[in-house]
Amino acid sequence: LLVDFWINPSAPALPVDVRIPAVSVQSVKAFLESQGIEYSILIEDLQDVLDQEKQDMAESAQRQRSSSSFDFGAYHTLDDINEEVDQLASEYSFVEKIQIGESYEKRPLYVLKFSTGGSNRPAIWLDAGIHSREWVTQASALWIANKIASDYGTDASITSLLDKMDLFLLPVANPDGFVYTHTSNRMWRKTRSKIAGSVCVGVDPNRNWDAGFGGPGASSKPCSDSYHGPSANSEVEVKSVVDFIKNHGNFKAFLTLHSYSQLLMYPYGYKCTRPDDYAELESLGRAAASSIRSLYGTTFQVGTICKTIYQASGGSIDWSYDNGIKYSFAFELRDTGRYGFLLPANQIIPTAKETWLGLKRIMEHVRDKSS
Amino acid sequence: SPAMELSPSHFPAARAAAVALGYLRYLRGGPGRGLELRELRRARRQDIDDVGHKYYLELELEDVLDKDRTVNCTAEVLYPLGSKSSAPDVQVALQGELRSTEEADKEFYDHIRSLEKELVAENIPDSHGKVPPELEPIHLLAWVASGYVIWQNSTENTKFHLAQVKHVKQVKRSDEDLQFDYVILLHEMVSQ
Repeated sequence: LLVDFWINPSAPALPVDVRIPAVSVQSVKAFLESQGIEYSILIEDLQDVLDQEKQDMAESAQRQRSSSSFDFGAYHTLDDINEEVDQLASEYSFVEKIQIGESYEKRPLYVLKFSTGGSNRPAIWLDAGIHSREWVTQASALWIANKIASDYGTDASITSLLDKMDLFLLPVANPDGFVYTHTSNRMWRKTRSKIAGSVCVGVDPNRNWDAGFGGPGASSKPCSDSYHGPSANSEVEVKSVVDFIKNHGNFKAFLTLHSYSQLLMYPYGYKCTRPDDYAELESLGRAAASSIRSLYGTTFQVGTICKTIYQASGGSIDWSYDNGIKYSFAFELRDTGRYGFLLPANQIIPTAKETWLGLKRIMEHVRDKSS
Repeated sequence: SPAMELSPSHFPAARAAAVALGYLRYLRGGPGRGLELRELRRARRQDIDDVGHKYYLELELEDVLDKDRTVNCTAEVLYPLGSKSSAPDVQVALQGELRSTEEADKEFYDHIRSLEKELVAENIPDSHGKVPPELEPIHLLAWVASGYVIWQNSTENTKFHLAQVKHVKQVKRSDEDLQFDYVILLHEMVSQ
């Protein structure tokens, strides 16, 4: 009869469960009834159940998040971004998510590490969203992360880059501020730290670095949007990056994304004198701006921070440059004021694409100089 | 002293251009015309003793509703010496015609008059940069108002942009004029 016991007979009065092949169902039923053995049907058609389960699993596998299903052309919440960060780390063997610290409100600071091997290879740093309202930067960083991960192995430039160097990408440098722009105030710029003796909240994280700290272009007033904070590195979001980079000890480039204005700047901001590497940085900046322009004609102005916009102390690329990281650049992405911070979502991918060309140009130069 | 050439791509010139644009939007903008700066072609600055700093600008403007062409414009922006409470003096000269807005203005007027309740709206553009098409004229009208505010409040060291229309409310009137109260957010360029 080929009956298959799922619960074996053990003692009288204890039930047994048995699977009956379809062809034998009638004879087994007849036998049980003739012997006065009570039975109930738990599963009418087992194959049905198995078929359904298989279908469910197939559908689930299709629905299962893959980076190809993440909408890079839309703005996302912090939770969504973190999910995509996890997705990239799980999808690619050379991509790893690391936590470099916590924000003031205890949100993890997640960095994507791109490394194809070696031991503490020369590295490139890229961050976005240090000013939380600059939404096109976090969005672009995610597109760029996916671009690099998915093109490794097929794109010659990315492949040779990651074969020689590591890349560390912090897509949301100011998560507390970013959440605040979603929940309360779309125009929030600073961190969300409480300031002793003030009703106002937050420090401008790009005036908080130890580079000419407290000098011109930063405010000492807590309520100001460019408040430098009580002391350099007072903001944990800044300190975490500083500590990470110092401990690593082998960074060759420090790149940071802001919006808006379409500018490509290098040090200094805290003083109006030219850096020692002025000629090389100016030339590289122009080359990168040229690469950006090649895609859609978007023009970026190139120059030192002080000359291009204004003197501003405590900025991140001044700190990185003065700490030996020669290739320090700050990008201000689209646009030039028509939409400003409220850049329409349909411009995210074009912005990310053109920005990536500029970053790639710089990274290629750094790669060539670091080998 | 003679006028000195400025780099049009650097902020000192761009600040003066922003004032000129604000003034132009106030003068010539409307629900059917939104003036944008396509390019600042040339900028010079002259320090006039006992008077102030005067910027000479050559601008290329576009109407966002008529993007296929541009109009050239010269502007002079004088920041008065020492005075923080006095608006910069602006003179502009357009070299060419702007597209007529008679039809668009009438359409806007008729549309608002046809509403059953006074118009109320907020967050234009929204967080994602979207402006519903039916609110675009109200949005461009805000450019006019913000143009005035920016012109009146600018100094040589500020660069204002309209960041967002936070709130707009139509004010009921007994005559046939339209009146709107706006709350606007201005961004002063400390971003870097």
